[in-house]
Amino acid sequence: MSRHHPKDTTLADYAAGTLGEGRSLVVAAHLAMCGQCHEFVSALEEAGGQLLDRVEAVAMSEGASARALERVAGLAVEPKAVRPSRQIVWRAEQDKLLGYDLGPWRWISPGLHYRAVNVPQGDTRVFMLKAVPGLKIPAHKHTGTELTCVLKGAFIHESGRYAAGDCDDADQEHEHNPVIDEGEECVCLVAMQGELQFTGFFGRMIQPFIRI
Amino acid sequence: MHDRPMRTDLKAAKSPAELAQLIEAIAASQDCAAFAALFDHFAPRLKGFLMRAGAPAAGAEELAQEALLTVWRKAAQFDRSRAGAAAWIFTIARNLRIDGARRAQRGKLLDIEATEEADPPAPPDALLLASEREQRVHAALEHLSEDQMCVVRLSFFEGKPHADIATELALPLGTVKSRIRLAMNRLRELLGDLT
Repeated sequence: MSRHHPKDTTLADYAAGTLGEGRSLVVAAHLAMCGQCHEFVSALEEAGGQLLDRVEAVAMSEGASARALERVAGLAVEPKAVRPSRQIVWRAEQDKLLGYDLGPWRWISPGLHYRAVNVPQGDTRVFMLKAVPGLKIPAHKHTGTELTCVLKGAFIHESGRYAAGDCDDADQEHEHNPVIDEGEECVCLVAMQGELQFTGFFGRMIQPFIRI
Repeated sequence: MHDRPMRTDLKAAKSPAELAQLIEAIAASQDCAAFAALFDHFAPRLKGFLMRAGAPAAGAEELAQEALLTVWRKAAQFDRSRAGAAAWIFTIARNLRIDGARRAQRGKLLDIEATEEADPPAPPDALLLASEREQRVHAALEHLSEDQMCVVRLSFFEGKPHADIATELALPLGTVKSRIRLAMNRLRELLGDLT
């Protein structure tokens, strides 16, 4: 069970369909691993249904119902699909994530790899990071928001330990100094708005090579 | 609660169980009478909802039509133990509202169940039966203050950007943002408390 979750407002934007595509992808990954947030989103959808029942109805135009009946007369009811599970598996060799194309793994510094997630829309960059156990990620902050979901392994920073399924929903001006936990490599999915700024000496040194 | 019901519609109001039966009748036997009843119940509500969310009348009508056609096509996917009829139809309308280019993929992301692996089935750890959730959500909405209900409706249900809500309520943007945050936290608390 996850212990770190997206903010309630992030989940509400997701349930409303107003969260950007990149951030929605990270939330979807979290929901696949967190029954508690999945239930909250289902409850919000139920709330949407109840609000729909209370909304002031506006009459449809004359004959709308007859036209709809005509259209469904020639329309098949699709057969019941096998319901896929909420399980998401992450394999090093997979080249798609929930339908999105993944770029190749690229080396960015010792023990740290990066692969782009091809989300066409918007101002948010989505990528996966893979890091070896014990690695200290250079201290950094960012100018926009950053939403991270751990897919495998764990990292630790000032707010606690983030293991598979955990989500870090960070605002700007929040300085991070994460360390990868011992035991296994850590793979994260990240949706980031704005620029990443490394603050330490090593970070400033590698900054020019990282176009994430 | 704060929305006036459409008076003429009160007689036609149907219980959640009746609405679920109508969808199941479409799935079982392509039942046109059931479809007509669902259409009469939901299409005017969807049109009202979409107009409140900012769509022009003609566009809202077209989208309401499209949503009901989707209900027909997808009727076999409906599972009343997972979601109530109104909630299910709300999610269909929401997915249609998202702009065309993103539609297919976003619809997939928003359909929480649709992930990549067909097995093994994960245990639905924290998931409730839809009927239980329905009562819990109903009670939680009753406990929100009028101010909280108002921002939940504008931001979540109607999907309005914070800046538009600030204009509509004549409040500073910061106030709107914190009110939304507090309302959502409260809703989460209420849903948790009502176990």
